[in-house]
Amino acid sequence: MTRYVLLITSLPHPGPLFGARQTPLSRLRLEQHLQLLEAGDRQRLDRIESLLHWDRLPFDTTDAEILQQARHLIPTLGDTRLQTIVEQRLELRTLIAALRRRHRGEPAPPLDGHCNWGYGRWTGAIARYWQEPGFRLQGLYPWLPEAEKLLTDDDPLGLERLLLAQVWRQLDRAGEEHWFDFVAVVVYVLRWNLIDRWVRYSETVATQRFDALTEAGLDRFADLFSGY
Amino acid sequence: MNDFIVVLGWLGLFAPLALGAAGSIIGCAIAGQAAIGAMLDTESGYGRYVGVSAMPSSQVIYGIVVMFTLNRSVTVESAAGLFGIGTLTGVALLISAIRQGHCCASAIHAAKAKPEIFGLSLAPAAIVEGFAVFAFVFALVISAGIPGGGLQP
Repeated sequence: MTRYVLLITSLPHPGPLFGARQTPLSRLRLEQHLQLLEAGDRQRLDRIESLLHWDRLPFDTTDAEILQQARHLIPTLGDTRLQTIVEQRLELRTLIAALRRRHRGEPAPPLDGHCNWGYGRWTGAIARYWQEPGFRLQGLYPWLPEAEKLLTDDDPLGLERLLLAQVWRQLDRAGEEHWFDFVAVVVYVLRWNLIDRWVRYSETVATQRFDALTEAGLDRFADLFSGY
Repeated sequence: MNDFIVVLGWLGLFAPLALGAAGSIIGCAIAGQAAIGAMLDTESGYGRYVGVSAMPSSQVIYGIVVMFTLNRSVTVESAAGLFGIGTLTGVALLISAIRQGHCCASAIHAAKAKPEIFGLSLAPAAIVEGFAVFAFVFALVISAGIPGGGLQP
């Protein structure tokens, strides 16, 4: 518990997610602080971030590849509290992926033993209750109906806000009773990532991101008409 | 067998000081690390952070006083009392110092983000201190019943 007292207390308070205009400290300064981590913990943190941070995933990464990475990573974390943090995040993404698939009119995923589209405890329930509102999981995830409505209303910003709030709450719960240990460091860094993601949202940045994704997607067709 | 009982008596005699000192070392180190971390993130209030980090040092003082109060000829008659009172008081001081260190570290961490709660954030540490005082005071009271009272020449 005492190993990371200095590290945690040297980090500025993250504050509320949606009230932030900038991250509590720059990534450069955060990295300087994180040098206090032990080498093994630093590697674990990097692996968690590489899985959960969208920006670190290549554009053409498939669901199956992400799942393979998650199934490989989670057992190596060695701490059930860290595993829970990662699993809860992936389960939330699985629920949203299912809502989006259903919204696009896709059929229910197969109910076989091996799931290659989502992670966690609810893939079976989602497939079984594909046509039911909230996949009958509203009791566990009361925000599902609202997320579904925002998706139907074509309100991506509202949906993003809702999802970030849920992740923030998950991190709140995960951080309870962890003040000065590695779990507290992981929770802080994941919160930093959420704040960074929220404060970066702007029309200009979105346009740049869209252009980058478009260029990346069109690269493979660059020589399509070269023979004509 | 008597020799073993006397050894236990000596252990009990020094336990409040030794365990109190061990607790204060750990508690002050925890709170001290928090104080140094807070200094990295703030521009003022360094003195009060360091002051709070010294709070767990009181347990070693209680331990010294209890040790002197228990100090008497260690005999078969007095050893059991010395061991019981001394060891249990030492354990109480050890635990209270460590946990007070955690309370102080949390207080420093919280007060850094919200300076107006600095005083209130110390309440848990003060409550923990209160329990250490209970162990200290009643060790003094009950030690009067151990045979061979009075300081050795």
